[in-house]
Amino acid sequence: MFDTLSLATIPPEDEALRPKVRTLAMEAVAGMPLDRRARSWMGFDPAFSRKLGEAGLLGLTLPTEYGGAGRGPFARFVVVEELLAAGAPVGAHWIADRQSAPLIYNYGTEAQRREYLPRICRGEALFCIGMSEPGAGSDLAAVRSRAERTGEGWRLNGQKLWTTGAQHVDYMIALVRTSGGPEGRHAGLSQLIVPLDRPGVSIRPIEDLAGDSHFNEVFFDDVDLPPDALIGEEGQGWAQVTAELAFERSGPERIYSSHVVLDAWIEHLRKVGRADDRTAAIVGGLIARLATLRAMSLACTGRLAAGESPVVEASLVKDLGTSFEQELPLAIADDLAAHPQENPDPEIVAALRYLTLVAPSFSLRGGTREILRGIIARGMGLR
Amino acid sequence: MSEYLAPFEAMLDTLFPPGRVRAIDAGADWSDERAEVEKSGFLEALASEDGLPIGDVVTLWRALGYRAAPLAIGETMIDRSEQDADLAKPLLLAAAISGAADRVLSMTVDHANQRVQFGKPIGRQQAVQQQLAVMAEYVVAVRMSLDLASSGDWPTAEKAALAKVVAAIYAPQIANAAHAVHGAIGISADYDLQLYTRRLHTWRLEGGGETAWARKLGGSILSASDSSLDWMRRLLF
Ligand SMILES: Cc1cc2nc3c(=O)[nH]c(=O)nc-3n(C[C@H](O)[C@H](O)[C@H](O)COP(=O)(O)OP(=O)(O)OC[C@H]3O[C@@H](n4cnc5c(N)ncnc54)[C@H](O)[C@@H]3O)c2cc1C
Repeated sequence: MFDTLSLATIPPEDEALRPKVRTLAMEAVAGMPLDRRARSWMGFDPAFSRKLGEAGLLGLTLPTEYGGAGRGPFARFVVVEELLAAGAPVGAHWIADRQSAPLIYNYGTEAQRREYLPRICRGEALFCIGMSEPGAGSDLAAVRSRAERTGEGWRLNGQKLWTTGAQHVDYMIALVRTSGGPEGRHAGLSQLIVPLDRPGVSIRPIEDLAGDSHFNEVFFDDVDLPPDALIGEEGQGWAQVTAELAFERSGPERIYSSHVVLDAWIEHLRKVGRADDRTAAIVGGLIARLATLRAMSLACTGRLAAGESPVVEASLVKDLGTSFEQELPLAIADDLAAHPQENPDPEIVAALRYLTLVAPSFSLRGGTREILRGIIARGMGLR
Repeated sequence: MSEYLAPFEAMLDTLFPPGRVRAIDAGADWSDERAEVEKSGFLEALASEDGLPIGDVVTLWRALGYRAAPLAIGETMIDRSEQDADLAKPLLLAAAISGAADRVLSMTVDHANQRVQFGKPIGRQQAVQQQLAVMAEYVVAVRMSLDLASSGDWPTAEKAALAKVVAAIYAPQIANAAHAVHGAIGISADYDLQLYTRRLHTWRLEGGGETAWARKLGGSILSASDSSLDWMRRLLF
C-alpha cells in the first residue's frame, strides 16, 4: 500500500542551490532571537522576500518566461528546507510561492499569468488564502461568500476568516459561490483573485494566544471586481482548490515548524557536555523520526515532480509530520526541565514556550488531523 | 525493484504457507525447505561475486517478514557475504518488520471492509478509519526509513540504527492497531494475524529495541558539530 511513495533524491543541480539560500537565510536571522525564528512562516518580512526574489529563489518551479527559474519541485524543496531550518521570516511570500503561483500557472489565462507570475517571482505580489469562513472550516464546501456577475464583472459579498497575512498582502485568492446556494455544496464554487485594496474590503486582525496577529477576518461589502478576477473556470472551484491544497500540504514546511529549537537544544547539550545514554536516546529517536519524515517529504516531492497531485500521500506526510512537530518542543522542554542546573539560555526557553502555545495549530492549518486521516482512509479504499 | 523478487516470493509462498509457518513455530524440522532455498541460489544474494545490491536484498527480506518465513534465510545471506554482519542484521530485522507491517495493514483493511456491525462494514466508522490511517502512516514510515538506510552500499552504523529505531518505534503500535480493529477474532490462535503481530514484537526487541539503537544515533550526533540537517544529509541521505 502507498507504493507510490518511493525514495527520491534531490538532483545535484537543485542541491547546488543550498549554499546560496543558506547565506541569505543566515543573514536574515543574524541577531534575531530564537523565539522569533521559531515563528518562521509566520514571520513577515517583505524586504527579505524581495531579496530572495532578486536572488532567483522564488517561483522556482515556474517557467522562465514568467520570471520563474524553470526548475522542478526539488529546487523548491531545497530552498524551503534551508529557509525553515534557519527560521528565516518567510511569511510574506510564502503563500504566493507555495500555492498561488502554481494555481495561477495551472488555471490562469495567458494574461493572468503575465500579470501576476513575474511579480510573484520578484517577491512583489503577495497573496493570502481565502478559504475558511465562520461556517466553513473543515467543511469547506459550505462557503457562503458569493460573487454575482454584473455588467462589468463581479460583485462580491461575504466574509472570510483566519486569513493569514491578509492585513499585509496584496491579493487574496478567494473560494466563493458563483451560482446556487450552500446546499449546492461542491457545485457552483469558483476562485476569484481579490485585490485587497478595493473599496468594500475591510480587514480586522485577530490576536492569537501568543500575542501575535497573523490571521484576520476579512469582510466583502459589494466589492466590484473586473471580469478577469475569475481564475480558472467558473464552477470548477472545488477541483481547483483540491489541487491547490495538495501544494499546500506536501511541502517540507510540515516537518520543520519547530526545527530551530531542535538545533538550539543539540547545541546546548554539546556545550554542557551531556551525552549520557538517556539523553542520546532522546536525541537519536527524534532525529530518526525527522530523517524518515524528510525522506517521506522528498518522496512526495518526487510525485509532484512527476506531474502528479499527490493528495493522499501529502495528507499522510502532513499528519505524521505535524505530530512530530508538536511532540518535539514538549520532549525538549521536558528534558531541559529535568536539568535545571544547566541554566539553559533564556532564548531557548522563550522559543519553547512560544512553540508549546502555538503547536496545536500545526495540525489545524491546512486541514485538520481528522480530515487528513479521512482522506488517507479513502485512499486505502475504505468508505 | 529487482527481477529476483517475484521468483523469491513465489518460492516462499510454496515453502512457507501459514500452516507450515505454524508447524515450524511449534518446532517442526524445516531442513527440506532449507535445502530448497539453498538450491534456489538466493542464499548467495550478498556473496561478493554476482551478489545483489543491499537495497534489492532488503526487498527479499521484506518478503520474508510478509510471510513470517524464517529469518534464518536472511541471516545466512548475511553470513555468506564478506561484509560486516553487525551492520546488516538490524537492517534484516527492520526489513522483516516492514514486511510484516505491510501484511498486517492489508489484513486489517480487508477485515474492516468485510466485518459488518450496526448494519455496515466497520471500515465505514470514522473511529476505525482514523486508526487505519495512522497505521498506514507508521507502515509507510517504517518502509521509507528502511529504503533510506539501504540506499547506497553496505549500511553504515548510522543507517542501520536509523532503520531499526524507526521499525522498533512503530512495530508495536502497528500490531496494536491491527488487533484493535480485528476485535476478538484477532486474538484467537487459529486466525493468522497473530503470526505476524507476535513477530512484530519479537523482531522489535531482537538485537535491541528503539532505545538501544536511538542511543547510538544520538551519540553520533552529539559528538558531531554540524547542524541536525547537515548531519542527516551527511550520514543518512
Ligand atoms: C494558524 C492558522 C492559520 C490559518 N490560516 C488560514 C488561511 O490563511 N486561510 C484560510 O482559509 N484558513 C486558514 N486557517 C483555517 C484552517 O484552515 C481551519 O482552522 C481548518 O480548516 C479547520 O476549520 P475550523 O478551525 O473551523 O475547525 P472545525 O472544522 O470546526 O473543526 C473543529 C474540530 O472538529 C473536527 N471535525 C470537523 N469536521 C469533522 C469531520 N467531518 N469528521 C471528524 N472531525 C471533524 C476537526 O477535525 C477539529 O478537530 C488557519 C488556521 C490556523 C490555526
